[in-house]
Amino acid sequence: MYENLEDIKNAIIGGKHDQIEDLVKKAIDAGADLEELINDGMVAAMDVVGEKYSKNEIYVPEMLVSAVTMKKGLDLVNPLLQADAKESKGTIIMCTVKGDIHDIGKNLVIMMLQGAGFDVIDLGVDLSAEKVVEEVKRTKPNILGMSALLTTTMPEIKTVIDELKEQGIRDSVKIMVGGAPVNQEWADKIGADGYGADAGQAVDLARRLVAA
Amino acid sequence: MPVAAPGPWAAGNKPVKEEFFMADYKDYGLREPNPDFERIRKTVHHQEPDRVPLLESLVEYPVQSRFLGREVKSDDIKSQVEFYYQAGYDTVPVTVSAMAFGKVDDSSPISRVIRDKMLKDESEKEDMTKWSLEYRSFINDREDFETFPWEELEKPEILKPLYDVKDYLPEGMKVVANSGKIFTLTWMLMGFNNFATKLIMDEQLVSDVFGKVAEIQLNMLDKIFELPYVGVVWLVDDLAFGNGPIISPAHYRKFVFPWYKKIAEKCHENNVLVFQHSDGDLTVLMEDIVDIGTDLLHPIDPTCMSMKTVKQKWGDRLAFAGNVANELLRSATPEEIDARVKYLMETMGPGGGYCLAAGNSVTEWGKFENYIAMLKAAEKYGNYPMK
Repeated sequence: MYENLEDIKNAIIGGKHDQIEDLVKKAIDAGADLEELINDGMVAAMDVVGEKYSKNEIYVPEMLVSAVTMKKGLDLVNPLLQADAKESKGTIIMCTVKGDIHDIGKNLVIMMLQGAGFDVIDLGVDLSAEKVVEEVKRTKPNILGMSALLTTTMPEIKTVIDELKEQGIRDSVKIMVGGAPVNQEWADKIGADGYGADAGQAVDLARRLVAA
Repeated sequence: MPVAAPGPWAAGNKPVKEEFFMADYKDYGLREPNPDFERIRKTVHHQEPDRVPLLESLVEYPVQSRFLGREVKSDDIKSQVEFYYQAGYDTVPVTVSAMAFGKVDDSSPISRVIRDKMLKDESEKEDMTKWSLEYRSFINDREDFETFPWEELEKPEILKPLYDVKDYLPEGMKVVANSGKIFTLTWMLMGFNNFATKLIMDEQLVSDVFGKVAEIQLNMLDKIFELPYVGVVWLVDDLAFGNGPIISPAHYRKFVFPWYKKIAEKCHENNVLVFQHSDGDLTVLMEDIVDIGTDLLHPIDPTCMSMKTVKQKWGDRLAFAGNVANELLRSATPEEIDARVKYLMETMGPGGGYCLAAGNSVTEWGKFENYIAMLKAAEKYGNYPMK
């Protein structure tokens, strides 16, 4: 194990965006294993960040700066990896449903999922069920993530799930849901595979769903 | 409920035709209007007036239209006063700010500024995603800050509704000036992710944007205080998500709350009350909200906060308004609304310090019958002295 891996991890946790490049360059020059750098250094750091956010030990700005810091480090490592060595943890489509244009939460979740090594396709906001299903058919993701902020747009999440069933492809994708009015009970009721209360929980959930 | 004139309503709350009947309080079985702003003043000073006041920062125009039986638009201040009067309120809310309460649409002055002064391509003016702060940000860096047309946000037209309303105010009724969107306007101008990262990576830029927005709001206050019929300045600024503050309490104390404190001091010097609205879980910010000098906090988000708890912990230092949940107004029965209002009156009413309100605002996607049930329940359970 690279002896200074903790320094890289701590720099990401602490949002030390002005220090990370030197630290990562040092690691690369020292011959550190690149996958270990990514998984045990950077991704592990973002797991800690997600946990701190869930506990309200840090807030959105600190979480975002940690993500910026991680990306700076990752941008130095990625070009050195062989194409087939770049292991994605899975593909996730994310969107807010029809009628809902609020995307702060969705964007935070996307950032954390990318930090955890997932490939994320952001469909944006206000997506109709037809459009979402079309994208699921085209992309064949591991997970479809949907959110809604308003109680009036929540039912659209169920509409998407029903449409996937109608098209006979519900079982081809895991579905995770979130948003202010959403909760576990409702997610279970509509047939989603999981619910995440915040961006940190969304990463844990995505990992469980991909492993299932 | 009033007997509907033939054909004015399609499904829901939206009027279809121009010629409508005109409804008033009698059609809904409500008491004769007798607005009295002193009711609100006594309430926030923890005294018991004759009844628990009703209070809203926003009843959406389709609901007002449904109530009155004619279309009420954002620029029809006369009809808006008529609505709040007939429905039993002591105040009428008027937006005196670059941003209105709720979604940023073409009725917000900031939208007109952006559309008229900043868009280079004429065709972009037809596309809401190009000029609405709901979709697009405009201050990404120092250069954007320096070149933004800030002076446009202080144009006299922003105050026009506040001057116009004077002609229509009944005796006893005062205006709530919706103002002070310092935090929200700052992050919307900068784009949320850009704002949040620059809060740490370019603190000076964020501080300067906060300062500029606050300066504009404070300048607006000087004009507001010239008008004796304004009773309240209502800071409408969401500070928290359902799981807690959007930025750290330390950041709020450094960049936002000093401005709020200044606003509260100026209001009190001018004998104007200061109310604060924020959704989300404010628990860790409550002592700050007290320290700012806030008179009343709204709505105590029913999805994550408890009226009973806030009364127990802060009820001697703050008044509250809320919190018939918007989800209840959408999906409950009138009987369930009645029960909720009864609970709120019994829990929050004794000793004053409480106004009845919805859990955020009265929206067009709630059931109209539930809104009426809320008003009627207020009359049934909200009278002092309480048993």
